[in-house]
Amino acid sequence: MAEQTYFEDVKEGQDLPEFTIAPDKQQLVKFAAGSGDFNPLHFDEKFPMLQAMGISDNIVHGRFKYAQVGRLVFAFAGPKGRVKKFGVSYRGMDLIRKPITVKGVVTATKKEGGENLVELDIWTEDADGKKTTPGTATVALPLKG
Amino acid sequence: MAEVFEVTDEIKAQYGKETDPWVYEVTTTSVRMYARGIGSTDPLHYDVDYAKSQGFRSIVAPMGYVGTPVFHPDTNDGTFGFPRRAGGTRLNLPMKGLLDGGTETEYLDYICAGDTLLETSHLAEVKVRGNMVFVTNESVFKDRASGKVVARQRLTSIHIG
Amino acid sequence: MPQIYFEDIQEGQEISELKKNCSTQQLVLWAAGSGDFYQIHYDKDFAQGTGLPGLIVHGALKHAFLGQLVHDWIGPAGRIRKFGCSYRGMDYPGQDIRCRGVVKKKYTENGMNLLDLDVWTENPEGKKTSPGTATVTLPNRQ
Repeated sequence: MAEQTYFEDVKEGQDLPEFTIAPDKQQLVKFAAGSGDFNPLHFDEKFPMLQAMGISDNIVHGRFKYAQVGRLVFAFAGPKGRVKKFGVSYRGMDLIRKPITVKGVVTATKKEGGENLVELDIWTEDADGKKTTPGTATVALPLKG
Repeated sequence: MAEVFEVTDEIKAQYGKETDPWVYEVTTTSVRMYARGIGSTDPLHYDVDYAKSQGFRSIVAPMGYVGTPVFHPDTNDGTFGFPRRAGGTRLNLPMKGLLDGGTETEYLDYICAGDTLLETSHLAEVKVRGNMVFVTNESVFKDRASGKVVARQRLTSIHIG
Repeated sequence: MPQIYFEDIQEGQEISELKKNCSTQQLVLWAAGSGDFYQIHYDKDFAQGTGLPGLIVHGALKHAFLGQLVHDWIGPAGRIRKFGCSYRGMDYPGQDIRCRGVVKKKYTENGMNLLDLDVWTENPEGKKTSPGTATVTLPNRQ
């Protein structure tokens, strides 16, 4: 059964459960398949654009990282909650096979338009702790009572 | 110092000009492939019976997946899959480098397998920062059957070099 | 492709060739379309780790190319009844793959106009890397 977070239990400053992934080439090829983005930047290590950009290896699709913070907020919302909005900027590149940690923190809770909303900062971080994909999200949660 | 690109009044006048619609399909196969593509093992994206038991119409599109645009080699880009269609705005940027700048999705309802969406898109903003041009397009996704808006996405690309 | 007709075909004639040359992007598109994500087709280190010289083209993709070869040749009114091939030799991305065929037998059976074909993919050295056969029907000129 999927876990459910309830509005009353959420506190400002609370961290979401983080996770780390290090996508290999098979994962990026599967993401190309799923997303329809077949840019060779992400799977062909000889692709000329990589050399032109001075990058040593294939890079992870930005939208792959977006989807990872998407997993974080979707799990936080639970089946009875709803992700209303989430967005990120791609500030830094992440290389294939390098660890990416997906994190989030509650920045505010409020009642608005008849909904119980939780505002979050969400991001992915590389192995050096650099926030390569910073963003925010708004999630509506159910009440316990 | 001359800017790499000038955001003219003519360009700004194009903001909001919608393209013709395009059909985006959300199928069980495409939802599962996207979920596999991101490495999610959440059964809500794979198991139809389970998703229904949790109150959904069918398996749920992972967050960020808004369906796959109907593809035809004559109309769609071979690498990225996006459709070339009438309406909207064509910017002729001289830069060769293209990077993803940002993605934001707003949901008014869940998107599930079995949904067929109609998408229109418009140029929302063009900004120059140093030697980079940031182009933001906004897409509106409507459920084809009901006509209701189910999601909006803002996609920013960076043109450089 | 224009429609071809049963009356115009002769045993021994070659069918119109289809030339392929797979980019790495094509191999990834095939992985997406087929669901076969085996890494020997896009991950060079993995391929070499299994003893291969480098990336190789999926056998099933060559089978699909031969299907396209025959489909294109018979035209919209023709039908493929059967086709298949064996994967005898490897083909590599960035290298020409000639998809070719020849009519072996022309006959009618149970009121159908049938042609048996030999089909194959050929590498730049002329080796038949995926030899196979096909049986098709063609319409008569009305």
